Amino acid sequence: MKRDNDSTFLIAAALCIASLCIIVVSIASGQRLLNPFILDSETCRTLLAIRLPRTAVALLMGGALGASGAILQGIFRNPLADPYILGISSGASLAASFGLMFGISLFTLSVPILAFIGAIATGAAVVVLGHGWKGLQPERLLLAGVGIGFFLSAVLMLVMTISVDDGLKRAILWMSGDLSMVDWGLLHVGLLFILTGLVLALTRRKGLNALTLGDDIAYSLGFNPTRERLYLFIAASLMTAAAVSLGGVVGFIGLVVPHVVRRHIGSDATVVLPLSVVAGGTLLCFADAIGRTVAAPLELPAGVIAALIGSPYFIYLLGQRKSR
Amino acid sequence: MTTLEFANVSFAYGAQRFIEQLSFSLPEGELVGLMGPNGAGKSTILKLAAGLLSPRKGAVFLGKQMIGSYSGKERAKLVAYLPQILDLQAPFRVGELVRMGEYPQKGSRALSVDEALHIVGLQEKAKQPLAELSGGERRRAYIAMTLVQGARVLLLDEPLASLDIKYQFDLYRLLKDIVREKGVSVFISLHDIGMGTMLDRLLLVKHGQLIAQGESESVLTYDIVQDTYNLNESIGEYMTANRTVCRALAVASLQ
Repeated sequence: MKRDNDSTFLIAAALCIASLCIIVVSIASGQRLLNPFILDSETCRTLLAIRLPRTAVALLMGGALGASGAILQGIFRNPLADPYILGISSGASLAASFGLMFGISLFTLSVPILAFIGAIATGAAVVVLGHGWKGLQPERLLLAGVGIGFFLSAVLMLVMTISVDDGLKRAILWMSGDLSMVDWGLLHVGLLFILTGLVLALTRRKGLNALTLGDDIAYSLGFNPTRERLYLFIAASLMTAAAVSLGGVVGFIGLVVPHVVRRHIGSDATVVLPLSVVAGGTLLCFADAIGRTVAAPLELPAGVIAALIGSPYFIYLLGQRKSR
Repeated sequence: MTTLEFANVSFAYGAQRFIEQLSFSLPEGELVGLMGPNGAGKSTILKLAAGLLSPRKGAVFLGKQMIGSYSGKERAKLVAYLPQILDLQAPFRVGELVRMGEYPQKGSRALSVDEALHIVGLQEKAKQPLAELSGGERRRAYIAMTLVQGARVLLLDEPLASLDIKYQFDLYRLLKDIVREKGVSVFISLHDIGMGTMLDRLLLVKHGQLIAQGESESVLTYDIVQDTYNLNESIGEYMTANRTVCRALAVASLQ
């Protein structure tokens, strides 16, 4: 057991060091290469106005999506569950796209706020529809999420079809995970919701482990499965809603990062949750740094780059497992 | 003393009545079997005993209190339940699974994780993923988790199902040891008549009603078994052969 703990600690330490290096790379890279250790006034301005908020948003978003994926895969006992399977992102996308395409800009943060409202409203609707006579059963909750998600996506497509061109392009960029418009304004609100969700999830980590074994065993271990599932769903919804409102829809991370973390350190939520935050944040940060550098001044969406980097590694891990 | 008692328990799934005025008690420190045909209500009785289902009429007592009156943690310290079908996709390693048994009572548990792993013979496989274990090993890992839980009453739904004869006897010996050394009560549902005769006591149910209870020899008579399972004359030969093999193996395994 002790050797187990030692190897987990080593992997966690290695991941944190890699994360710090990537943060420095992310801050330094962009259209103009910065040396974050030599601070003249222009460097300071660029750092504070652009690079730091962008890096912070990438870390927060990736971390929130990684942790949400780990929670949802556990409570649904489904390795394909991710933060977007429950329709939460569709609700956020629809609400935000309304704002972008129809020019609803009452104030600077109106689009992220619309996204957040859309995500939370969708999450609440999924819980109401997913609640049957036996409580919050995973299958029913999942079907409710998928059904609502498809409906909202269909409405979104309809809205996009009839929208004006400029708004459409911005909406598509936003839905691909566009971090080019982030600023400090939304960051502290996003941080608050993500931290709230993460702390809630960490306090229910034992319940998450138990639910992964099935409701009967969770009950036998002293948990109330419906209550645990509801708390964890709220935690995942808060983090997903905050992530989507910070920088749009970034796929892949919520689905794959928890699997990669489990592959290396096991499945105990006590370590999977925090390490999914670090790994998800690091991957999105790295992907964003590449996305705004390789084809500068053109910016490639971070979500697309994350999938391009991460998918081959994930396939490699699957291949390794098969050959063992 | 933590005894489990059913007092005139009736239960229905929707409008369909399933358990009818069932009364029995499970004394401390015995290995008790629950037998009956498919659909007789064995799993439902175990779920009622675990508190997973609530009776429509009557009450299930654990000690002096009704099982529904305990908090989740208090209940988990007293009674542990393992369903028949265990998750094949659970992504945990053996050690992680067994450690979950500590959740209800960390510190004052009956057995440490290492001890439980040793008892079920999986100490060498603590770091292995559950998915890579055989069916018998996986079931033993779940039983180790239940042992760490330290409950006074173990409810196991068909723990012998899908195990080959070696694993069946390993499990039988393990349960016997737990009952003898820890004074725990173990209540298992099963189908094997030969294995049934080796338990301390048996309950035989049909259509949700108790047909017979008592020492296994007095319950598993040709007449009662034939009547309960609607069998023809050939059952006598089958029962004799089955008992002989099981007894011989049981004696060998306990030596």
